Amino acid sequence: MEQVNKFSGHAIRATNVVKVFGDKAALKGVDLAIEPGEMVVLLGLSGSGKSTFLRHVDGLETPTSGTLNVLDQDLTTLSGSQMRKLRAKVGFVFQQFELVPSLSALENVLTGALSTLRGPRLGLATYPRRLRVKALETLDQVGLLELAYERADTLSGGQQQRVAIARALMQEPEILLADEPVASLDPESSRIVMSLIREIARERNLTVLCSLHQVDLALSWADRIIGLREGAVVLDTPTAGLGRAEVMEIYGKVAVDTQGHSAASAAPATAVAEPQRAAALAYSGAANS
Amino acid sequence: MSLDTKIPTRPPAAPGLALKAKPGALPRPTPERTAVVLTLLAIAGVSIYSLAKAEISLANMLGSIANAERFLARVGTVKFPPMAELLELTVLTLGLVLTGTLLAAVLSVPVAYLAAANTTPGRGFQAAGRFITVFTRAIPDVVFAMVFILVFSLGALPGILAIGLHSIGMISKLFADAIEQIDEGPRLAIRAAGGSKTQEFVGGVLPQVLPSWIATVLHRNDINLRGSVILGYVGVVGLGQDMSHAFKSLNYSLGMGIAIVMFILCVAMELVSGAIRKVLLGHTSAAGRTSKRAAARRAARAATPLTANSARPWTPARIRNLIWGWGAVAVAAAGVWVCDIKWMDLIEVWPKLPAIMVQFWPPNFGSYDFATMASAMGKTLAIALAAVILSLVFSLLLGSFAARNVAPTNAVRTGSRLALVIIRGVPEVILAIMLIVVTGLGSQAGIIALAFGGVGLLGKLIADSLEEVQTGPQKALTATGATRLQTYTASTLPQGARAIIGHSFYLLDTNIRAATILGIVGGGGIGYYLLNAGQGSNYQLVTSIVLMILVTVLAVEGLAMWVRKVLR
Repeated sequence: MEQVNKFSGHAIRATNVVKVFGDKAALKGVDLAIEPGEMVVLLGLSGSGKSTFLRHVDGLETPTSGTLNVLDQDLTTLSGSQMRKLRAKVGFVFQQFELVPSLSALENVLTGALSTLRGPRLGLATYPRRLRVKALETLDQVGLLELAYERADTLSGGQQQRVAIARALMQEPEILLADEPVASLDPESSRIVMSLIREIARERNLTVLCSLHQVDLALSWADRIIGLREGAVVLDTPTAGLGRAEVMEIYGKVAVDTQGHSAASAAPATAVAEPQRAAALAYSGAANS
Repeated sequence: MSLDTKIPTRPPAAPGLALKAKPGALPRPTPERTAVVLTLLAIAGVSIYSLAKAEISLANMLGSIANAERFLARVGTVKFPPMAELLELTVLTLGLVLTGTLLAAVLSVPVAYLAAANTTPGRGFQAAGRFITVFTRAIPDVVFAMVFILVFSLGALPGILAIGLHSIGMISKLFADAIEQIDEGPRLAIRAAGGSKTQEFVGGVLPQVLPSWIATVLHRNDINLRGSVILGYVGVVGLGQDMSHAFKSLNYSLGMGIAIVMFILCVAMELVSGAIRKVLLGHTSAAGRTSKRAAARRAARAATPLTANSARPWTPARIRNLIWGWGAVAVAAAGVWVCDIKWMDLIEVWPKLPAIMVQFWPPNFGSYDFATMASAMGKTLAIALAAVILSLVFSLLLGSFAARNVAPTNAVRTGSRLALVIIRGVPEVILAIMLIVVTGLGSQAGIIALAFGGVGLLGKLIADSLEEVQTGPQKALTATGATRLQTYTASTLPQGARAIIGHSFYLLDTNIRAATILGIVGGGGIGYYLLNAGQGSNYQLVTSIVLMILVTVLAVEGLAMWVRKVLR
């Protein structure tokens, strides 16, 4: 496990990954490969399988069939403790931040280091000083050092997401997964969070796989875009040197609802759900501020 | 992780039904809903019948005024035990109750972990956890105390263990409910970071449930303090025992004195724990109030940025938490210390245990037959039912006035809330004892005592539920020009109805055990036989009676679960 930095293969490689919930197929044979150090956006509407796929990469779901290799390890064959070791190398940033509301920002960041510790922890004093210092440094890196001792639920959405990023960095990950990291944020916070992820990823040479539903944001941010629709890969293209025609093609293939494409009627639920959810999020954002 | 997906779903409503029905016709209820409504009506009918049969009439009460006068003459002046003794007894009672509650709280954590749908390791574990919850709740603490007094030499230990074991039922149930209501996100985040199961629980679940857990423990502590009176009747040391001795030796003035002390203790405890709960659960609102100061502090800190090595600042919140935390530890330690527990007993008891347990098996009815015991159990059930219906009527009134969104003025609300606290503070047993002295032995005293105590509990629950309803519809109705009462009956009450039915079943559940206990002091029903059997060393009969209580409580619990599921 020590030679992980020298591994030669793909950071993430999925071969025909299928996931069925009940009688509904969420992933219908996903094939993709991501190289170390790449910044890739997984683009698609809600319900296209982005979140489900990301959760598979961190071992939070098990594929119904197919193989999934992360950092050269076959996820389907790992034992409980091997899985925890792998998860420690894969940071995960959630759409809803998922901080413990009643704990301070600093303690939330420290929970990212739990995999290096034995036994449960509660309270700042239960973490070694070395980690506390490191957590403060990480918070400094995301620009929130002065809020270290504030309760997580007193922070704004953008601040909470930066704390969540610091928590993921505390793991010293090799891969960073982000599931719609800015869907719950206002435009200004979104910009800060997305550029923060990019800066840190470049600096630490992280592999990033980030799911988004906004085509323009994906185009301006990613090295490569992988489009998902109804649980299958419909697009895989580098963003450099894309012409107008190619961009329109991306809209057509991924964001079916903006095109009035005939396929839109195949997934009316997702097309309707998206604006509603966006409206709900905008509302909750306004209520928070 | 197997998440429990057994969330009861609404019976599939036929979408076309509303269209097909004639205009103006009510939607056709499902057969199960009809059954529930009929069951509820039947229960209400039986309750009213029981109440009528108990012949509580004003004339009767007035007739017994002569009794009351004689009683008061007997009491003469209220006497208290000598100050030093009173203080010692008070401290001992408080310490014993506190230690017992703490024991229950500690034991409840693993039980709740097993019983909660989202943390349980498997279905079998969950069933085991739920069994412990139901079982410990169904057996009255008096029965536990009777057994432990046999096992241990006298002292505080039987009382502590009785309170400790019986309280697991309620505490672990509420602990598990709190676990099931958490936001799963933070827990998932810790799992995603490679945390273990224990780390997930301590880091992701515990911080979320802690305030509600502490509130639960405080609430239970209040109940246990009131319950400690009855433990005195079966020989547990403390104020309750001295009171029972005083009343048994017809020393009414001393008995009344101790009863008054007990009452003051209960109300004081209720007020203290109420204040602590408010601080705990209203934490966010407190944060909002001080946000200006916090903002200033942040600005100051931003001006002199922290370095990575700087220590955690001494904010008011940190100082407050530290004081509360160490204060709680000190109180708990003092509680254990005053009990003067003979720890050796806990080790020496094991060899003696089998011989004692054997005396409780097999269950039989001794010199009574099944019919007598069943009718006694029925009488206890009738007392409980009659008390619930009586409580419900008065609680709806008082509870509504105590709800912020119903009370006409703030003064009415505060007054009603205060009345509820005082009513809750009166230990039912003391009330029952006095009523028995006044109106004589029998179910009448039991019903009134239980109904009175029930108003304190149910009234508060109803007030809380009414305050939780959505205020939008109320505003909308007010906007149409509806009167206050119209708004209340058309919007507030229907929204709270399901919760009120649930709370009434909870009260019935509590009342069955309370009615048993009141039987011990002379309130009629199965409790009388229970005390006799215990004092007459007829332990096989004790087992039979406990089994009967268990079956009755489980039946009520099952009924309540069914009603709640269908009415969902």
